[in-house]
Amino acid sequence: MDTLKIILKSIVLSTTIFWIIIISKDFETDMLYLIPLSWIPISLCCLITICITVLPFFSFKPDKYTNKAVFKRYFPFYSIVCFGLCFYASYNSKFDIDLMSFLASAFFTTTYTWVLFAKKPNEQNHLED
Amino acid sequence: MKQLLLIIGAILFSTLFYKQNMGLNLSIFSIFSTILLVIYNKAAFKRKSSKAFALVYFITALMVFFYQSNLSIITNCIAFLTLIGHISEQSSSVYINWLNGLYTSIAGFIHRYIDIQNNDQEVTKKQIDYLHLAKIIGIPLIVIIVFIGFYKNGNPVFGELISKIDFGFINIQWLLFSIIGYLLFRNISKPVQVNPATSCDLNTGNNLVSKTETKLEHLVKENQLGFILITLLNVLIVFFLITDITYLMSSQDFRAPAISNQVHSGINALIASIIFAIIIILYFFRGHLNFYKANKNLKIVTYIWIALNTLLVINIAVKDCQYIYYFGLTYKRIGVLIYLILTVIGLITTAIKVKQIKNLWYLLRLNTMTAFAILIIASTINWDNHITNYNLYYAQSMDFKYLINLSNNNTFLLKNYAKNTPLSVDKNTSIDEKHKNYIDKLKDHSWQELQFDNFKLK
Repeated sequence: MDTLKIILKSIVLSTTIFWIIIISKDFETDMLYLIPLSWIPISLCCLITICITVLPFFSFKPDKYTNKAVFKRYFPFYSIVCFGLCFYASYNSKFDIDLMSFLASAFFTTTYTWVLFAKKPNEQNHLED
Repeated sequence: MKQLLLIIGAILFSTLFYKQNMGLNLSIFSIFSTILLVIYNKAAFKRKSSKAFALVYFITALMVFFYQSNLSIITNCIAFLTLIGHISEQSSSVYINWLNGLYTSIAGFIHRYIDIQNNDQEVTKKQIDYLHLAKIIGIPLIVIIVFIGFYKNGNPVFGELISKIDFGFINIQWLLFSIIGYLLFRNISKPVQVNPATSCDLNTGNNLVSKTETKLEHLVKENQLGFILITLLNVLIVFFLITDITYLMSSQDFRAPAISNQVHSGINALIASIIFAIIIILYFFRGHLNFYKANKNLKIVTYIWIALNTLLVINIAVKDCQYIYYFGLTYKRIGVLIYLILTVIGLITTAIKVKQIKNLWYLLRLNTMTAFAILIIASTINWDNHITNYNLYYAQSMDFKYLINLSNNNTFLLKNYAKNTPLSVDKNTSIDEKHKNYIDKLKDHSWQELQFDNFKLK
């Protein structure tokens, strides 16, 4: 249940960041209809990305580790790789605003998801990092 | 006060970099970042090493102002990461500084937030609920905007009224850029560490330690194998050097393709031989053989091998210098010389490792630091200007198109050369065109993009 909540929060954040950046470039009221529609692909992207790249760190962690310990151990490398890939893609697209809005929302959403998972209460007694 | 500093930083970040090219802005950013780091980390800046790294960072920023080359911009970024990483942990290796610096710049604030969450969870909960605040502002705002969209097409009067509202004076992109600036300064204000990488690095010394006893028979066999192998390799490299030097002395063929082939094939041989040399030395001196009393002969042949490899490097350097003398300087030829310098340093540090019984980490630390120092030195040199100056006044022949295609750093030098030397019409036209384009570009610079050459304009 907690995991579902976290994913929902991430989808909201992702959509918000995506549209703020798109609107900052060029705002037309006709675009407003697209916001609810965009929830479907954004939700799918979020769900797949989180389930594949973030959730396994917490789901398959050794019992002795707390969520905070998992965060401190793996998040630095995850964030560096994620930032590197996003920056590389932005640079290759010559900082195209549409792609950048997607990449920025992806980076901030995954980061936010890590924070939410790290804050999730632990079920058993664990070793601190 | 500190929060105010971050907000000023965010506004400054947008003012300096939003839709601007690199120039004076990077120098101002460097000064502000250093001031911010000093204010937030006063204790760290009491050490001389932190001051030295800050100075190096500032020098690289000045080089961007002077030369604006890609090399100086990349070096400035690396110096920035090194400084931040060094503040996070003063005793760690330079590559760990880069890791810590990069992580701090990307997600330092989030890392600290998680730390605070766990330490003072109770206290934090009593503070302002930002999520709720975002919800009560954000959700109604989004819903209202969506409904405005619906109603706009339903009623022409309402639609006309809505279309008259103009928020054009607000530049959302500029604001978003400021938020990124704020996040960056917030991240770097208190540098964090990547663990367990940092703690592992701190716990790993530079010296090899004899841990367990090994069978003497095994050591004798390994010592024999090492001695025979390295002695044979010495003989081989001597033979190679004799034939190569003989060829070099007797050859009268100074055509570009001939020397080019020599230099390039020499470099390829060198790369392979040096890598293998270091791997073989590291293999034999990885553990117990360092402490074996009868390893004197093995050490002697190893030093001879390192010396012969250094001779190989000198041999290649001579070829490269000949090439440069006859056909002028290019980035590739300078790159070869820099690679040769790094190779000699690598060989010397390997010799030190064997003599003083150091471990692999020692080699990695020392060589990474050396590479960093060479990068900093390289960024302080106006390469385009030096290449042009050498090729125009000292080289026996040169490729004029190559000089025209270099960055604008050689424009004034080329213009001066054209004034004082009779040139063909084509060459004069190319120089004039390059000069005119550069002057136009300099005149178009905003104050953020100013560079040293702007002040040379009359």
